[in-house]
Amino acid sequence: MPAISPLSAARAPSTATLSLLSNALRDLRIAAPTVTQHIQSRYASHQAQGRANKAADGAGKRLGAKKTGGEYVIPGNILFKQRGTHWFPGDHAFMGRDHTIHAGAPGYVRYYRDPARHPKRKYIGIVFDPKQVLPQPPHAVRRRQLGMLAYQMPASVSEALTLNVEIAAEVPAVPVTDALSASESSDVALPTPPARLNKQARTLRRSRGILDSLHLTLRPGYQYRTSNHEIGRAAERKEALAQAKGKTTRAYDEFKKGDRFAAWRKSAVRIARNNERRAMGRGKKGGKK
Amino acid sequence: MALDRSAGRLARCIRCTRHERTLPIRTFTTTAPSRLETQETQASSEPPPPPAGATTDAPKPRLRDPNTVSTRAAEQQLIQHQRITPVGSRRRRAAIASTSNIPFSELPYQCFQEARAVLQADRKQKLEHIRVQRERIERFKAKDVAPQDEAHKEKKVADMRRRLEEQKILADINDPVVKRKFEDGEGDLNKPIYRLLADRQWRSYRRTLLLQRITQMNVVPDVLPAIDPVVSTALSFAGKRVQHGDFVDSRMSELAPSLQIQPYDKGKRLYTVVVVNPDVPNVQKDAFDYRCHFLASNIEISPTDTRVRLGLLGEEGQVILPWLPAYGQKGAPYQRMSMFVLEQAKSEGGGEFQTIDVAAVKAGGKYTQRHGFNLRSFVDKHLLKPVGVDLFRTKWDEGTAGVMQRAGIVGWDVEFKRKRVEPLPYKRMDSVRYR
Repeated sequence: MPAISPLSAARAPSTATLSLLSNALRDLRIAAPTVTQHIQSRYASHQAQGRANKAADGAGKRLGAKKTGGEYVIPGNILFKQRGTHWFPGDHAFMGRDHTIHAGAPGYVRYYRDPARHPKRKYIGIVFDPKQVLPQPPHAVRRRQLGMLAYQMPASVSEALTLNVEIAAEVPAVPVTDALSASESSDVALPTPPARLNKQARTLRRSRGILDSLHLTLRPGYQYRTSNHEIGRAAERKEALAQAKGKTTRAYDEFKKGDRFAAWRKSAVRIARNNERRAMGRGKKGGKK
Repeated sequence: MALDRSAGRLARCIRCTRHERTLPIRTFTTTAPSRLETQETQASSEPPPPPAGATTDAPKPRLRDPNTVSTRAAEQQLIQHQRITPVGSRRRRAAIASTSNIPFSELPYQCFQEARAVLQADRKQKLEHIRVQRERIERFKAKDVAPQDEAHKEKKVADMRRRLEEQKILADINDPVVKRKFEDGEGDLNKPIYRLLADRQWRSYRRTLLLQRITQMNVVPDVLPAIDPVVSTALSFAGKRVQHGDFVDSRMSELAPSLQIQPYDKGKRLYTVVVVNPDVPNVQKDAFDYRCHFLASNIEISPTDTRVRLGLLGEEGQVILPWLPAYGQKGAPYQRMSMFVLEQAKSEGGGEFQTIDVAAVKAGGKYTQRHGFNLRSFVDKHLLKPVGVDLFRTKWDEGTAGVMQRAGIVGWDVEFKRKRVEPLPYKRMDSVRYR
């Protein structure tokens, strides 16, 4: 006799009963189950957008050396573009915010190592002469360029700076370069400054003329300064002083309404100057290759 | 002052006398003016004493000081009647009651006194070692040695002396009174322990700062190849201190400064002070030159006598080049005025410091030229040892023209402007590339 399982103890309902039930429950169903055939669907984009098989690569950033060793460069020239510091800035070179190495002085590029500075780093530096070599020997005096020229200060400025002090020997007018060398060679015999300077010499001396009349007053906000109306009239008073001496501070003659000839002259001067400047620039560009 | 605005909120709360307090409050201060104040206010808030002549039932309660009650009964009275707790330990209060000025070494703390006893025993031992070492040195010096062993004997004596100095330090290093005296600035720098403490203090911060400034400003290697500062320097112009590397107004530096040189080993020695400017612009060479602003030798300095007024040194025996005011011409970069302290050589055997013949140097002519002064050569020639360095900077300011004129220096009306660098030739591409 077959074993009776508890499941088979209850008899299954007949097919008629089942169809009746399903008809009754059809209206209560939320959605009809769709029976679709399984079609394989492939999507153009995956979850990782843009990558099919391997990681996407961006456009090349043109990193690397832009000036080779020995090339002549001027300040600001980019020497090496990099991500991070493969190379460090050496003598007369500096690094920008994205680790780009620029030249800091006009000269010739050198790629080198300097174990005294750092045991592992590589440097890019500038030398001033093609025969010079980096790194410099330890404790050597640094190589530096002045990169400046000496000019005589304009007369008005130097007048303003001259003090009311008796200068013992009259200083002869000499060209700037000779004057400097002359002073430095004979410095042993220089007069020593007086042990006690008089108060006048010690205080700041203003230049003669309009500045004498400008006096500092306590303005609102606890600042000591000349008042605005004095500042505003400074130019006018300067012109008045100059005219008293027979000179003028004006670059152009005072405008006279109706004098078209003077106006034309002034604009003609300006136009000529601009044309000249443009012509100079054009000539330079044409000459370069 | 009842309620001080400067006191914190908690302090004010504790000191507040408006509210009735059931429990006495113990604060952290050892001095308790507020307690006495509260005492006073409470005393004043107490009912006025009965008029004279009237009989009183209870005797007037005696006011006790919380700092000096030492008996149990007195403490109880203080707490119960005055509502204040005593301050500190009973031993302390007893000591203060006897006298207010207890010397540091007699402070009545047991652990402290035990420790003091240990340190005193150790010091006694060290003093004994010092005595023994001194005797040893004397005995060894008295020994006769063969001429070929003289150098070895001298070296050994020097080593023994060094050991003796170490022992002197060890005897005093644990003394709290020494430490306190040094921190209060009362240390006598003739004694090795105070010199050691001062040296240690200098090296802990100010020397590292000095070295940082010197290396960042490239004084070394521009002027001298290397330096190991052993003496500390303090520079001041017209009484105003100048920190290492500070910018000094040209009018301030017109007159010679005052320099304090502090050595940390004993004895007098002779120094040479030199001020060199390595940033003098030279337009022809497109480079920089050196200029010596001051040079003086045979300056005697000891650990207690440290001040040198450079303007007051003797012209005959000391000053080779007098003070030239520091100046920076307009437009030129700032000028570094580096000051070096160079120790003069010791003569062999005698231990005396050699003087430099100033007259001979002046007559020689090589080192009397300010412009192009080579300090490396001067140091090598006279066997000097760089032991100290200082730095100040100068640039063009309102007073520079005046300073240069008064000193008779040519070039006060010279302005430096940057040279135009010719741009590199570039081939101009067609306009499409520049869109």
